[in-house]
Order: sequence, then structure tokens, then C-alpha cells
Amino acid sequence: MSGARVAPAGGREGRAARAWRLLREHAVTVVAALVVVYMLIPIAVILMFSFNDPAGRYNFTWVGFTLEHWRNAFGIPELTSALWTSVRLALLATAVSTAIGTLMALALVRHRFFGRRAANFLIVIPMATPEVVMGAALLSFFLILNAPPLGFQTLLIAHVMFCISFVVVVVRSRLIGFDRHLEEAAQDLGATPLQTFRLVTLPLIMPGVLGGAMLAFALSIDDFVISNFNSGTTVTFPLYIFGAAQRGIPVEVNVIAMILFGATAAAMAFVTWQQSRAKQMAAVHPQPEPAPLLHPPSREVEQSVE
Amino acid sequence: MGAARRRRAAASVAALALLAALALALAACGGGGGGIEGGGADEAPQVQLEGKPSGSVTISNWPLYIDEGTVAGFERASGVSVKYIEDVNDNVEFFGKMQPLLSQGEAGGRSLFIVTDWMANKMRELGYLQDFDQAGLPSFTRNLREELRSPAYDPEREFTAPWQSGMTGLTVRTDLAPDVRSICDLFNPRYRGQVEMLTEMRDTVPLVMKCMGIDPAEADEGDWLAAIDKIKGAVESGQIRRFTGNDYARDLTSGDAAAVIGWSGDAVQLQADNPNIEWRMPTEGCILWSDNMVIPVGAPNPTAAEAWIDYVYRPAVQANIAAYVNYVTPVQGVKEILERREPALAKNPLIFPDEEFTRNCTIQPTPTGEEERNVTAAFEAVLTG
Amino acid sequence: MPRATESRRGPGTVRIGRRALPYALLAPGAAWLLVFFVVPLFYMGRLSLESGVVGSLEFSWEWSNYTDALSLYDEHFVRSFVYAGLATLFALLLAYPLAYVIAFRAGRWRNLLLFAVIAPFLTTYLVRTLAWETILADQSPVTKALDFLGLAPGGHVLATGGAVIAGLTYNFLPFMVLPIYASLERLDERLIEAAKDLYASAAQAFWRVTLPLSAPGIVAGTLLTFIPASGDYVNAQFLGSASNQMIGNVVQSLYLKQADYPSAAALSFVLMAAIMVVVLLYIRFAGSEALMGEEPR
Repeated sequence: MSGARVAPAGGREGRAARAWRLLREHAVTVVAALVVVYMLIPIAVILMFSFNDPAGRYNFTWVGFTLEHWRNAFGIPELTSALWTSVRLALLATAVSTAIGTLMALALVRHRFFGRRAANFLIVIPMATPEVVMGAALLSFFLILNAPPLGFQTLLIAHVMFCISFVVVVVRSRLIGFDRHLEEAAQDLGATPLQTFRLVTLPLIMPGVLGGAMLAFALSIDDFVISNFNSGTTVTFPLYIFGAAQRGIPVEVNVIAMILFGATAAAMAFVTWQQSRAKQMAAVHPQPEPAPLLHPPSREVEQSVE
Repeated sequence: MGAARRRRAAASVAALALLAALALALAACGGGGGGIEGGGADEAPQVQLEGKPSGSVTISNWPLYIDEGTVAGFERASGVSVKYIEDVNDNVEFFGKMQPLLSQGEAGGRSLFIVTDWMANKMRELGYLQDFDQAGLPSFTRNLREELRSPAYDPEREFTAPWQSGMTGLTVRTDLAPDVRSICDLFNPRYRGQVEMLTEMRDTVPLVMKCMGIDPAEADEGDWLAAIDKIKGAVESGQIRRFTGNDYARDLTSGDAAAVIGWSGDAVQLQADNPNIEWRMPTEGCILWSDNMVIPVGAPNPTAAEAWIDYVYRPAVQANIAAYVNYVTPVQGVKEILERREPALAKNPLIFPDEEFTRNCTIQPTPTGEEERNVTAAFEAVLTG
Repeated sequence: MPRATESRRGPGTVRIGRRALPYALLAPGAAWLLVFFVVPLFYMGRLSLESGVVGSLEFSWEWSNYTDALSLYDEHFVRSFVYAGLATLFALLLAYPLAYVIAFRAGRWRNLLLFAVIAPFLTTYLVRTLAWETILADQSPVTKALDFLGLAPGGHVLATGGAVIAGLTYNFLPFMVLPIYASLERLDERLIEAAKDLYASAAQAFWRVTLPLSAPGIVAGTLLTFIPASGDYVNAQFLGSASNQMIGNVVQSLYLKQADYPSAAALSFVLMAAIMVVVLLYIRFAGSEALMGEEPR
């Protein structure tokens, strides 16, 4: 971040002043780095204990190092199938709720229509409802309807239900203040509304959509109470873990958590790599730029920002 | 402008009226079909045996409560295919999710599940369980341990068959609380803030009653409430750090807690890695409990469910389960088998307690009816502050 | 060449009138929520007015369920809102710098940093909480350091209100980071540059340009944190003692342990109403533009 450069009187900055300036400039990055460390501390502990070799069934005391549980990570079939169920469920619930939620956010931010206030209200209430009563009420509802059969389908319905609100709120915050001129420009150039949405709107709101999707995924894969009520005989990962905790959470749980973590990190890294490759390709084959914004981009300004 | 606003206002009113009507309609029609309320039968239904067991059966159990080979062994021996699911994670959570089903006479496809004594009793009173046909349970009748034959809530073992048993007593850090040997010692101010008790009311309160000299088996509502009051005093003075499920195990290993009310099975596992953790039989005695196999109403294929119960009561089969689970086995003759295979287990009084060891122990009592509601409300009030 | 006021319609495009468009966009989500949330909510409502015990509940307009809920648990309400409020504040203070860095300074690492934000959720609540308990055990170096700094009254962190707030903050941090990031990322950095060209200091540029433009994200993040945190139960269950329990714990207790479904349902409605009141006040204070996006159209 470059501040307004005013030459200090005397023409030379003292060391303390320079250190202070460096600290201020990088303070935000340092704080952010600390927050990331804070987020990942438990993961470090979980990773460490995934190498533990307890004789008993509890994994609280460090006994010794072993790779046995890593070698045999999927050795508890019920655990593995519960994990697989949860991952599938989370991916599906994320996809559906993100799509539905994005559409809702578009409606709520951009249009004034009868029922808008009620719809805004409707979005927020599910977040405020205690899960135990919500889960039980939903279960009773499924039983009264006598359909669908309790299991994966009811889990999916329930998960999409509580994820929608979060997606809407995140996408909405992205949409507010969104510059409509880009869309108008695209339509002036002959794009249909659908093309405008696909090629202009969606890429521009993508960080919001992605943020909402990530929240939905996190919510779904970690849900216990509502899942417990509506799962029938299906066992999800959190359900298994809460139950296994009665006897002692096996080390394989730590290992699988790390594998899941690693796999998702690798997927993210892969996506990043693809994106940077796409950028390199675009640099070679430049696309025509969209209509200019507030003022034409200035070369000097762009270079001085990072 | 005025006309548009009036139209909008009228539409709002119409919408609200529609919602109110819908609400009333649902309120009216929700009553008959069941749902959260409803249920209850006067006489317990009986399992109707249908010849040789066959087909398939779904069993719900707690996770990590069975060894690897028993399910396959049963399938081979009986020809019944088993869907064994581990979706019981807590008595009350399981009840919460099964109650709407059971009140309509359904079990969600399950033929058998396993819940602790008091929950089995509660379900029976609501009419959710079936009585066994004893003709299908010869091994069970023969091999059930004497001490478990006649609990107060099911004196003829008509609807429960213990899966595993356990003892609730004191789990202590021998280095931090070497002279805690009775429940009353938990109230010693020396250990202020280092004591934990279980959220399970039917373990914690009867033990405190024992400390007060009350016999839990004979206790009335006043006794329960008096014991709860004593616990409340300990909470307010800061004596009790917190109330736990079995996550007291972590607190013990790190020394955050020095002495807790804990379960014998956990101690067997903890001791393996923490030699300074010990389960101690309180001088006043312990609480004995069982997790029981029960057959719910609406169970498909109860014949196969009874075959399963009988199968796991064969000593050879039970020996495998006991060697893995390390709780107290309800079957006679297992100790002799394990004496040859795993002598250390056979000698462990936490897995094979003799009568002398458990002479002061009480089978887990449970209040019922109005008493249960009052006592539970009082205890929960202490837990939630 | 098509005229500027016309747009080409390709084959197969659906013509949705402009007035019907918002309803069409809203329909799938509204339908899902109406059927799978609002309708069960009515059942809950009916349940909250019943009396009796499990197995023999009957509808009797039992308003005492509501009055009891308000009078018996007022302390828990206050405590829940205090814990949730503090957690939201701490989450905001931690999340904003992180979101800022991810939006402006992360470059290639953006996706990985975003992943780091939700990565803890892949490990399930219980596992990561046990990990925290290991880190914050009474005798651990971290706890001793906190005690030295005076942040651990009584010499321990676990089984206190502070631990509950810390747990809430940690578990809801992603809910604060992601909306703020989404909102910040939209920010055109040239606006900041323009401010600096006009002799604003870094701090002034932040307070007058960045912060206001990220207000929608902040409002979204605080709602997504405060609302669910108020009804949370699991952090107090594992990290708190008997005197740190929140309203969510009471609802759990009433429903599961005491099988007192009507009281649990009534208390849930009271909680939802209380949260709505707080949210409405907040919106009024924050200005509805930041929340609802009053588009000049």
C-alpha cells in the first residue's frame, strides 16, 4: 500500500520511522497471517495425533509414532461409508442450494416486487431456528407425508433447506452496489438476457457465489442435529463420530480428516493452477475488453498497485 | 398512488388471512395422523415367531460396540443377511428421532436396536416395544448371568436382553487425587474445580444418594430431589468443574479433572495409555447398568431378531465380542474361554467383576411418570444453570 | 447490425415478462423454504400450544408455555446474546484483515486461503473441539501464557464463558470472512488510489472508501454469525460449565432430555422472535441499503 509520498524534512528517514512505516504497511498482512495460523492450529494437532499409536481406544495421550493408521486409513468400513455419504451429500446440497440461493439473491436485490420484504424475512428465519426443534418438526412432516423415505433423500432436502439462507445472504452482499452498466452495455451489444447473465453477471458475482457455496459445503458436512433426526438408517460422518466418541474416537478419524483436508487442498491448488494457465493463455490470445468503466485504466496506476 | 397502496394493503391482508387459514387447517389435520404426539398402547405386543429365521434383518447399535467377525458369523450360522448400522449415538438423541416413528407403530425398518435400561423402560411404557417369545431364546435363557436376571423394571426379562453391561463409579488420577475412594470424597473442597460428574442423571444422582446414605432402589421423589440439591450446592460452590458425557476422559488425561464419576469400560481403555488413571469401586458401591437389545413395534422379521439375540448369547460368540468391547459381558461361561485366550482380560475385575466386587452396587434405578418429570426437570435445571 | 434498443432473441430462449422475472427467480428457493421450513414451522407452532406428556399430548392453546419460556430463562437469553454478540465482534475483528488480504493481496494464493478458512469444517465439530481442548488444557503452555497475560481468571480457560465465546468465534469465523471477502473483492482498487491521489492517508482511505464500500459484506457477515450463534448449544456443552449454558442448551434439554416438546417448541419461537427483534434493530441502525440493496431502478 503506497501512501502519499511526501519527502520527510531533511531528506532521510530514521530507522525507527522506517520500521514503523513497514509495520503499518504490512500490519494487515501480519494480522491476516496470524488469523490463518489460528484457523489451522487445531488441524495441526489433529494431524499430529493421526500419527499416534495408542494401546487403548482413546487418542488423547501421545504414546508413540506410527504410520499404521495411515496405511490402514479406510480400515473401519462404517466410518468410510459414513464419510462417503457425507461428502456426496455435501456436494449435492451445495450445488442445489447455491443455484437456488443465487437466483433468490438476484431477485431480492435487483427487483422491487410485492412480497419482497416477506421474502427477505423468510430467508433469515431458518438461521434463527434451534436445530433440534427444526429437525424434529421436519421429521414429523416427512412422516405425515409418508414420503420420501427417510434416508439420503430426506437428508438432502433438509441440508438444502438450511443452506439456502446462507448462500442468499452471501451472494446478496456481493450483488449490492453491483454496477449494472456492464450488463446494459452487454445488452446494447446484442446479448440476450441469458447470455448477459452467463458471460457478464455470473463471472462478476462469482466470488460471492463461491463464498456461498463454500459456506454451504461447510454447513452440510458438519451438520449433526438436523441430520440425526432426518437420516433414517443412513449414517453421516458427524453422526458416526458423535456416536464413536462414546467408546473413543479411533485414530482413523484423524487420518481421514487429514486425507479429506489434503484432497480438497489439492483440488483447490489444481483449480488455481488451471486459472493461472488460463490467464497465461489469455495473455497470448487477448480477448476484446468490455466497455470502459469510470475512467480509462491507466498503466501507471495499475503498476503501482502491487 | 392511493389506489395502488390500498390494493397492496388489501393483498397483504389477504395473504395473512390465507396463512392463518393454512395454519388452522394444519393444526386441525395434524392431530389424527400421529407426528410428534400420539402413540401409547395398553398391552405390549408380542413377537410372533415364524418358523426358522430367514430373510434379512436390520440392527441398530452404538458405534464400535461389536467385534469384526460376529455379524458374518451370524449370517453364516443362520442364513439371515444382516444390515448392521451404527446410528445410536446417544439414548435421548435416538429416542428423539425414533419417537415420531414408534408412535405410529413404525421402526424405520429396524428389527432390533440397543438402548440403555431406562430408555428401554421408557419405550416400553409408551408401548413402543414388543415382548419376546421366549421359545426363540434358549441360549439367552440358559446363559444370562444370575445378577442380571431380574432387574426391577423387567423382572422376567420379557422385553430386554442385555447386550453389554457396565459399572459407573469413580475414575481418578492416582497422582492428583490419590485418596478419593468414595462418592462423598468428590465433595471434598480440596478438589474444588477438579471434579466432574456425568450428565446422565440416572448414574450421577443415585451415586450421590448413596453418599447421603439413601438406597437408590428404595428412593422416593424427595430423596432424588435432595440429592439433586446437594449437587446444586456443589455446582454453586465451584466444586464441580462441569458435567460431561464421556468426554471426561480427555479432561482426566490432561489433568484438568482429578476425579470424576465415570464408566468402567472407558477406564479399561484409558488405563492402557495412562497408567495413572484408575477406576475405583466407590466404598458406597457402584451403579450397574446394561445396554439392552430390544425389538420395537413394527419390526420386520422379529424371528431373525430373536435369532440374533440367541446367537450372541453363545459363550464362544460372546467371548469375541467381550475381547473387543471390554465392557462387562452378560453371558456366563465367557470368563473361562478368555482365561485361555487372553488371561489379562479374564483377570480384570472391570470386565469380569465377581459378586464380592459388586456387592454394594445397585442396578441403575429410574423414576417413572410424574416423578420422572419432576426429577428430570430439577436435574436439568442444575445442568443448564 | 441490431439497433441499440433491441436485443436479439435466439431460438429457444424463454420469454419471461419483466414483471414476472423476480417471481420466477424466487420461485425455486421460496418453494423449497415454504414447503420444507414454513410448513414444519406450523407443526412446531401447533406443538408449542399443546400440553401433556409424550404419548398423550393434546392441543389446548397452552399459552403458559410461552410465558414460562420468557420468565424461566431470561438469564439464558441475555447470556446467549452477550456470548453471540461478543463472538460476532471478535470474528469481525479477526475476519476483516484476513478477508482484506485475500481480496487484495493474495493473488495466486487466494483459493488456498479461502480453503484454509473452511478447512476446519472438514474435520467435524467434535474432533476440532477436542483438539482445542488439548491446546487449552489447564497445564498447557498456551493456557499458562494466557494466564500470565491475565486472560484466564481462575487459572484455566476451559469450562468458562470465555472458552464458549472463543469456540463460537472460531467456529463462525468462516461465516464472517466469506461475505466480507465477496464484498471487498468487488472493490475497484483504483478508488483507493484516487483517494490517495487526493492526499488521503492510508487510514483515511480505509475509513472513507474501503470500509463503507464493504458495508454490505460486514452486515451480511455479522448476521450470518450472530443469528446462528445465538441459538448455538454445542460450544457451551463442551467448552462451558453449568453456569455458561445458552438458550440452545435449554432447548436441547427440554426436547431431548425432558421430552417436553411443547416447552421446547415455545422456547424456540421466543428465541426466534427475540433474534428477529435484534436483527430489525440492527438493520434500522445499519441502514437498509447495506442489507436490502435498495437499487435505484
